[in-house]
Amino acid sequence: MITLFLVKSLDRTIIIAVAILLALAVLVPALNLLTAPDHPLHVPIYLVSLFGKYLTYALLALALDLVWGFCGILSLGHAAFFALGGYAMGMYLMRQIGARGSYGNPLLPDFMVFLNWKELPWFWYGFDMFWFAALMVVLVPGLLAFVFGWFAFRSRVNGVYLSIITQAMTYALLLAFFRNDMGFGGNNGLTDFKDILGFNIQAAGTRTALFAASALALATSLVITSGIVRSKFGKVLVALRDAESRTRFLGYRVEHMKLFAFTVSAMMAGVAGALYVPQVGIINPGEFAPGNSIEVVIWTAVGGRGTLVGPIIGAILVNGGKSIFTAAFPEFWLFALGGLFVLVTLFLPKGVVGTFQQYLARRRAYCVAARKNEEAELAAAEPTAAE
Amino acid sequence: MYRFIQTLLMALFLIAAATPWVRAEEGLRDLVNALGEAKLSNMDEHIEALAKTGDPKVVPILEALGEGNLYARKVDGQVFLTTGSGSKLALTDPVSGESAGEAPKAGLQKVKVNNSVRRAVRTALGSLTLLSQDRNARLKAAKSVLQSPDADALDAIENALAAEKDAEVRALLEQARATTLLVSDRPVEEKKQAVQTLKEWGGGDALSVLSSALGSADEALKSDIEAALVGLEQTQALWAAGQNVWYGLSLGSVLLLAAIGLAITFGVMGIINMAHGEMVMLGAYTTFLVQEVVRNSFPGLFDWSLAIALPLAFLVTGAVGLAMERGVIRFLYGRPLETLLATWGISLILQQSVRTIFGPTNREVGNPSWMSGAFELGGLTITWNRLWIILFALAAFAALLFLLKKTPMGLQMRAVTQNRRMASSMGIRTPWVDALTFALGSGIAGMAGVALSQIDNVSPNLGQGYIIDSFMVVVFGGVGNLWGTLVGAFSLGILNKFLEPYAGAVLGKILVLVLIILFIQKRPRGLFALKGRAVEA
Amino acid sequence: MTEKKPRSLLYLDGVSVSFDGFKALNSLSFVVEPGELRAIIGPNGAGKTTMMDIITGKTRPDEGEVFFKGGIDLTNKDEAEIAQLGIGRKFQKPTVFESHTVWDNLELALNRSRGVFATLFYRLTGEDKARIEEILSTVRLTARRDDPAADLSHGQKQWLEIGMLLAQEPELLLVDEPVAGMTDAETTETAVLLKEIAKTRSVVVVEHDMGFIRDLGVKVTCLAEGSVLAEGSIDFVSNDAKVIENYLGR
Repeated sequence: MITLFLVKSLDRTIIIAVAILLALAVLVPALNLLTAPDHPLHVPIYLVSLFGKYLTYALLALALDLVWGFCGILSLGHAAFFALGGYAMGMYLMRQIGARGSYGNPLLPDFMVFLNWKELPWFWYGFDMFWFAALMVVLVPGLLAFVFGWFAFRSRVNGVYLSIITQAMTYALLLAFFRNDMGFGGNNGLTDFKDILGFNIQAAGTRTALFAASALALATSLVITSGIVRSKFGKVLVALRDAESRTRFLGYRVEHMKLFAFTVSAMMAGVAGALYVPQVGIINPGEFAPGNSIEVVIWTAVGGRGTLVGPIIGAILVNGGKSIFTAAFPEFWLFALGGLFVLVTLFLPKGVVGTFQQYLARRRAYCVAARKNEEAELAAAEPTAAE
Repeated sequence: MYRFIQTLLMALFLIAAATPWVRAEEGLRDLVNALGEAKLSNMDEHIEALAKTGDPKVVPILEALGEGNLYARKVDGQVFLTTGSGSKLALTDPVSGESAGEAPKAGLQKVKVNNSVRRAVRTALGSLTLLSQDRNARLKAAKSVLQSPDADALDAIENALAAEKDAEVRALLEQARATTLLVSDRPVEEKKQAVQTLKEWGGGDALSVLSSALGSADEALKSDIEAALVGLEQTQALWAAGQNVWYGLSLGSVLLLAAIGLAITFGVMGIINMAHGEMVMLGAYTTFLVQEVVRNSFPGLFDWSLAIALPLAFLVTGAVGLAMERGVIRFLYGRPLETLLATWGISLILQQSVRTIFGPTNREVGNPSWMSGAFELGGLTITWNRLWIILFALAAFAALLFLLKKTPMGLQMRAVTQNRRMASSMGIRTPWVDALTFALGSGIAGMAGVALSQIDNVSPNLGQGYIIDSFMVVVFGGVGNLWGTLVGAFSLGILNKFLEPYAGAVLGKILVLVLIILFIQKRPRGLFALKGRAVEA
Repeated sequence: MTEKKPRSLLYLDGVSVSFDGFKALNSLSFVVEPGELRAIIGPNGAGKTTMMDIITGKTRPDEGEVFFKGGIDLTNKDEAEIAQLGIGRKFQKPTVFESHTVWDNLELALNRSRGVFATLFYRLTGEDKARIEEILSTVRLTARRDDPAADLSHGQKQWLEIGMLLAQEPELLLVDEPVAGMTDAETTETAVLLKEIAKTRSVVVVEHDMGFIRDLGVKVTCLAEGSVLAEGSIDFVSNDAKVIENYLGR
């Protein structure tokens, strides 16, 4: 059953994309670790982490695409799931610091000592173990998405209303995580990480491994997402996106379908966040800002929603552009981003990949028609030639 | 000759005028120096003599005496106020109030004080200031005796009360007398009356006076105080609730102002305008510009600056809204999610433009005189700017309601939003109605910005703070229903302020957000939703 | 009435519903027997669509009883549950999944387990394939099986929707204005198709086209202002004085 599910998920585009990601997972670390720093093919370590960050963004965009592109749910709260996954990982990394913090407390992270806390809050228990933290990375965002979605979809909150309340959700979380007494480091968030799974987090080896892990996670998620959207379940998702009440009257529990997709998507976003945090070295409440969630939407839109590789390409394009732009003309990045929002919605609603696919399909149709014409002409010409 | 006589007369006049002043100065110095030679037994006579001068300079001298900071110089018997401790003391001339250098402690003799001297000093001080000619000094004295009641001052207070004519000072003195009475050794009957006075006086101060008196009161008085306390606490709670309602109304009016334009663009037209907050921000910056011009060129008109800014802000943001609708939004009708994204992009551009032009820091927008200050209403403190903003929000709401319901323009707007094709076939130019409606909504947001510039920081991020709240208000109140927006804004404002004391400001806001999210689950179409088939189509 | 309940397929008694004071249905009573083909006529606002909304669970009645197959109370079930019980509905406006192919539309409509995981790991069996082929030929869309539904003509979309309802294998089919916007030839063919379908299940058709109803030749119920005005053969109903006044006009 599972194999069938996986086999179905692999079409040409997905195979190529997965192959590229796997190649990157091997090649980029190799080019960093095995070449001398002055070698022309050497990839400096800061670039490895930068690309690793892009890959986690791409995973986040892919997660959003599952609900927005295929299910019609425009979530403006996906950065919240991303940040929750990031916080879960951050808590593990904080516990790994141990007595090496500035206050040297073996149990309490620095910010708790600073706030004069005497003991570890209950929700920090277990985060010293990697497996537990890894479980929380998917469980916490998944659970929030499940509870939120259960309420929202059951009462048929749709379209822009849903978008607005997902935005309210992430805004509420933003305010909550800014509070010092929440126990998540308040304004400053979690930072000063030392090591992960016993490896120094600053070391080139660890950072390239994190890059490879991000590429693998993205490839795996791509296969899973592709399996989902190509299954009958995926067809139901598209069906309810286009005609929700028709789907209901066919006997589908629309709310269950949406809830499943939303929860899976939130879990993927959580994984993305968990891979993001060790690569950038910090997680703070700013990640919950409503603007971040909307930015994810534009990555997906630029690449092409409803296509699977689109969001990945979009995330990398926009963020690559952002890195270059903010270095060259920091003043103008917001103009560029704002302009991108307007131009993409007006002129490129299907995104780069969607438009390209459309062009391919049209050319194929044109070729087929041309061939038919040619045959007809030949057929018409034959008798004359025979004469 | 004539001139000489004139100068002479003038000189004479000056001498005559100056003499009593000089004489008084000298008299005071003698009286003060006398303190240094006085014995403890006849000290109170000297104090009384000092107090009788009625000179305000006596007050610090007597205070220093009471605190043991008055020293006489052994060499010449001159008396000084001193500060500091250790072997050297800093001297201050008691009459001129000027510094007189330092002197070793050994060369000084402390003016002796004991408890009876202290009592005499206090009485003298009380009556000195309470009987002062200056009304403000009396008011200040009454307040100070009220704040630190002292049984010894009771006689002075009663004397002052007998002589007092001014109603406000009298009221304060009455309270001071009652407060002081409770700590004195007067008979219980008088104390009972004092409790009544305090109860009528009301307020948090009376509450604390009575509850502190409760501990040391004797049995006969206890029940009286307790009864008074219960009554006071009730009224106190009532006023606190009233104050909360006021804060809530104030916050509600801010929400209403921010949401009212959105009620048009989102509620009536169904456009998700994420740049709505930036319209508010542009309105606030228009106010800033107007005030800059007024300050530099027409300072006399400063009180009118808001009145000038209002129409200008309406025009500026209305024009921006018009451009947005014509340039972007009209291509996106029927695609609400795309509209959301495009307008978010516009909001980023507007924010960054303002940041580039005006800089990222807060800009100073002043309050006109009629909007600053506060007044008391019963137990409520009401600030003028909040009151004006509530009134302005209600006026804007009423104007909008009138425009939509009673004017041909409003009729066309409603027609177009209800049935575009029908409206267009009846000869309404729907594209222009769309554009004007959107411009109207944006213009109102700009006017809201003028009002909000009075209570919020004018920075490029101003709008960001309002956008989520205003969407919440519109969704909560029910989309497409202006009254719903009104009720939504005020109920959310009041709810927020009532949660704050229990949960804190941030947690209160989070709770409100969570409550709204839950509420939308229950009633997806808001408080005043339309029902039936038409809405779902 | 009570002994009638167990035998009838659909049983509505005293159903009322109002929207903001407007009574859309006023104590409506209505019964459909198994295997019956029934036509419903009535002026705009008579409550025809609201009645369908109530039967399919889209709207809850303010009062009254709605029973399916004797004992199943429909008033506390939602659309998906009711659809799974075997009530299919065709909308006034043809509603198909435009971005899916004709084939996928039918595959989605097939009466199979509709849970999340059942659909996630669903595998197209030979049996299901044969069933879809059969329906394709019934609704005359075999040639267009791989085209997106969006490319179909209006009449073809109507038929695809009817095909989807067939795939759903309902015991009761509610059809709202199936021939609106169809050519005469298509209308006649649709009448034939519906009669064919009614051989194996009950069908309720809401229609304005009197010619079409005459073609069907079945029992007619006329609704007005939310309740039943007259019931009987087309000739009986069209000669009823109240029906003429309210609906047909003089």
